[in-house]
Amino acid sequence: MLILRLWNYMRGYVIIRIEGLYLEKFINHCIEKGIYLWDIKRLNYTTLEASIGIKGFKSLRRVSKKAGCKVYLSEKNGYPFWAHKVKKRKMLLLGALFSLVLIITATSFIYNVELVGNYRVEEEKIITYLEEVGLKPGSNRYFIDLRKVENLLMMEFHELAWVGIEIKGMYAKIEIVEKAETPEKLEKDIPCDVVATKSGVIESVIARNGDAIVKKGDIVTEGDLLITGIVSREHLENPMYVHAYGEVYAKTYYEINKSMSLVEIKKHKTGEQYIRRTMKLGQLQLALGGNEVPFSNYVVEKSNKTPALWRNIKLPVEIIVETYDEVVDVEEVIDIQEAKEKIHQEAVLELMDQIPIEGEITNTKVDFNQEGKVLNGKIIIEVIEDIAKQKQIYN
Amino acid sequence: MKKSEEIKKSIADILELPQDIILDLPKVTMVGNLQIYIENHKGILEYTNSRIRIYTKSGILRVTGKNLLLKNIVVEEIVIVGEINEVEFMD
Repeated sequence: MLILRLWNYMRGYVIIRIEGLYLEKFINHCIEKGIYLWDIKRLNYTTLEASIGIKGFKSLRRVSKKAGCKVYLSEKNGYPFWAHKVKKRKMLLLGALFSLVLIITATSFIYNVELVGNYRVEEEKIITYLEEVGLKPGSNRYFIDLRKVENLLMMEFHELAWVGIEIKGMYAKIEIVEKAETPEKLEKDIPCDVVATKSGVIESVIARNGDAIVKKGDIVTEGDLLITGIVSREHLENPMYVHAYGEVYAKTYYEINKSMSLVEIKKHKTGEQYIRRTMKLGQLQLALGGNEVPFSNYVVEKSNKTPALWRNIKLPVEIIVETYDEVVDVEEVIDIQEAKEKIHQEAVLELMDQIPIEGEITNTKVDFNQEGKVLNGKIIIEVIEDIAKQKQIYN
Repeated sequence: MKKSEEIKKSIADILELPQDIILDLPKVTMVGNLQIYIENHKGILEYTNSRIRIYTKSGILRVTGKNLLLKNIVVEEIVIVGEINEVEFMD
């Protein structure tokens, strides 16, 4: 039916009033003639109101004569009439066109440049570089070749693995992925030493090239020489510089201290509640009915409501609802065993982040001591891992 | 009923053809009490806000109700909307 209505609108139609005594006859005549009538309404005993197409209206005169009734035009509707009306008002049309153009041009400028995904590369550097190549607030989005800018960025910053620029409306979002940090690879003919990356106790040394200068049981700290690339033998006049490499396994220790109060203060809600609303217009904050909070001990929950226009386009109006719940403090003693377990779990989780995947965990030590109401825990994890790292010898 | 009509009816029965086509009978469809479609009508006899009478092959169809409106009216179909209370065939 919508399509029919749209069709009628495009073709144009009029609403007519038919006055007469025998109006049914008029309707039947119309049907016979193939004149399409719709939305026929009885206004009173002698009047009907109906909608009719422009073409039908022209051929209505004969029908009305035959049926002995008078037809009055009541309303003109539809696109042709509208177009006719607009034609007379050229300025309005011009204004509409002008505002449309204004909107299109206004939205074709970039207002904000956002960078995502940089960890090691400085944001400042990338932003200034982008400004140099033309992507900055105020530049027109249609004049920027995004693929070219991406390539330029890739060429300028070698640390980047991928660059994606996306323009969403007025925002330019630059997403970058940095290359994974690779350990310095030294060419095979460059003489080098092997040094320790971490402190630990040497477990085993496998020197594939060069001379091992540490042995099992030695304690080394970070940066200590493990395998030297300067090989000197009795029969050699000058020491030989070699490309030392090998694996050095050492026991390393990861330690963490954690403490936890055995008495927990839990806040129990009493059920009393106080709600405060604040309206935020841009930077301006307006309190809506701002009274003092009637409780001395309370917890606050904040929630923001922003009326969204469409997807993530938001109005600069925000309503902040703060819910104050009155609470009473209740002290609760935690079971010591439970607390220990909790500390242990948290500590292990934290340490696991530091331990490399290849490391082999050989021992875990957990110490607890209680000081008053506080439980201190010390967790040490012993790991055997490769701590070898090549370091070039500079003469 | 005339003899030719009887023959038509029996043919329609045997061949399981829709009777409204063979016998030129009206087909009345209702949507709740809000809309009524009448296909194969022979013209409108009376139209007021509360009563509509339509001439069909099987007699006069009378529709009564409130705020009746002829939504659509063409040679083969009439659509009435409004609050329909009664639909009745009269001779």
